[in-house]
Amino acid sequence: MSEIGHGGKPIVERILDPGTAKEKIKGLKEIPVREQMAVEVIDIAYGFFSPLEGFMKKADVESVCKNMRLTDGTIWSIPIVFDLSDKEIADYGIKAGDSVLLTYQNAPIAIFEIEEIYDYNKQEMAKDVYGTTEEKHPGVKRTYRYKDKFLGGKITMVSRPIINEPFTPFFLTPLEMRKRIKEKGWIRTVAHQTRNVPHTGHEWLMKGSWLSAYGELPVEKMVVGVVVNAIIGEKRPGDYIDEAIVLCHDVLRKAGYFREDVHLTSISLWDMRYAGPREAVFHAALRANLGITHHMFGRDHAGVGTYYDPYDAHRIFDKFSEKDLNIKPVRVLEWWYCPVCAEVTYMGLCAHKDQIQNFSGTLIRSIIQDGVKPPRLIFRPEVFDLILECAEKYGQGDAFVTQKYLENRNPVFTFPKL
Amino acid sequence: MAETFPINVWINEERYAKLQAAGLADLCQEMLAGLKVLRVPTTAEQRDELLKRYPMAKFDSATTKSIELLPKAVKDQIFDLIVQKKKVDVIGEFLK
Repeated sequence: MSEIGHGGKPIVERILDPGTAKEKIKGLKEIPVREQMAVEVIDIAYGFFSPLEGFMKKADVESVCKNMRLTDGTIWSIPIVFDLSDKEIADYGIKAGDSVLLTYQNAPIAIFEIEEIYDYNKQEMAKDVYGTTEEKHPGVKRTYRYKDKFLGGKITMVSRPIINEPFTPFFLTPLEMRKRIKEKGWIRTVAHQTRNVPHTGHEWLMKGSWLSAYGELPVEKMVVGVVVNAIIGEKRPGDYIDEAIVLCHDVLRKAGYFREDVHLTSISLWDMRYAGPREAVFHAALRANLGITHHMFGRDHAGVGTYYDPYDAHRIFDKFSEKDLNIKPVRVLEWWYCPVCAEVTYMGLCAHKDQIQNFSGTLIRSIIQDGVKPPRLIFRPEVFDLILECAEKYGQGDAFVTQKYLENRNPVFTFPKL
Repeated sequence: MAETFPINVWINEERYAKLQAAGLADLCQEMLAGLKVLRVPTTAEQRDELLKRYPMAKFDSATTKSIELLPKAVKDQIFDLIVQKKKVDVIGEFLK
């Protein structure tokens, strides 16, 4: 029986077996791609981006930008595009109708059937997707960096990427994740989007949304799971290193803050666009493809600076019917520390608004950088200890991204030579 | 009074010992279930100048409204200035 993904379409892995791949790539022109494109090839081929079968053609890009839907009516909020410069197109001598072999770090990764080569006004794309044309918005900056032309067409991966340690056990494709969820006996699952090492504010966001999602279900055996889905992608200096993010989430379960039967840590590959509400919709589609039934959205989900109202990413879901998205948003307010309640508590419950103390991932980072161990009510000691371990093991002595880390880190994935 | 934007200088044992030795332990506030911190005020202009000088630093506009992630060496200098001047309002002098 097929697994139905976002948009009501079956999830189909677009991957050739090695024997067929070797035959099919013979004689194809090779086009090397940068990491973003390699990541998106993986996402398309495994079905993380289902129902997309390849990079978007112009009609889909336009429809996504203007209406937040693909031309077939499926909700989609962020253009997934492949770019090349005019010079590259001329140098490679490629045209619509050609099939080419995409390579990454000298290894073949996918056959790209180019159906259309087109241009698109990048300012218009930025305005529609990000609500601004300011280059200081990281998503806009990325849009402006796209080269002269976009190429649309289907992708078929020619070999499966090797996900390197320590990420290997956390990379679950949509089909694998669905299988894992069934094995665990979970009727509902709630996704926690993260790109941060967890403090107890995050922990309570997860616990609160788990309770919300649990609802009327029987409690003799736990039938709802929290699926932490860390976004692994382009890093900026000062971010936590990826290894610390993933392993520290996982240690919350290993140290017993979550039971074994209610928690799973996983990763998805994606360069954050910081598109606020539109990125929230994109995350919902991604996690729907993973077979997750609920998605937690907190304050300022995937936002940056002051471009979006903190709860725009909640309200955007008012625009869609249940038919549009087969994942339910769980809308949550802030968790904060209240010295009167003497606990981490919820904005929707605690009335000591004038006395509360907010804390954020940034604030915790600042505490750690000052050489101070935060109290366990705010930051679990097991997480703190693991951060230090990760700094030594993976970060050349630093738990935060440095130029040295970017230059020397073990890659998250590699493609085998055929 | 104009709005100020604090720099949180978190107090570890070494810093606390220095504050105690200088008789300044009372300058500390307690936050987040027992952490000691010096809340160093900055004006909007001082905040912008600090962020310009130290691009790694971040103004947490969304949650805490404070300046975070200043390099530890910079915070150490600010801390030393606080001990020397026996007050937390030292950023004007620091920026000179």
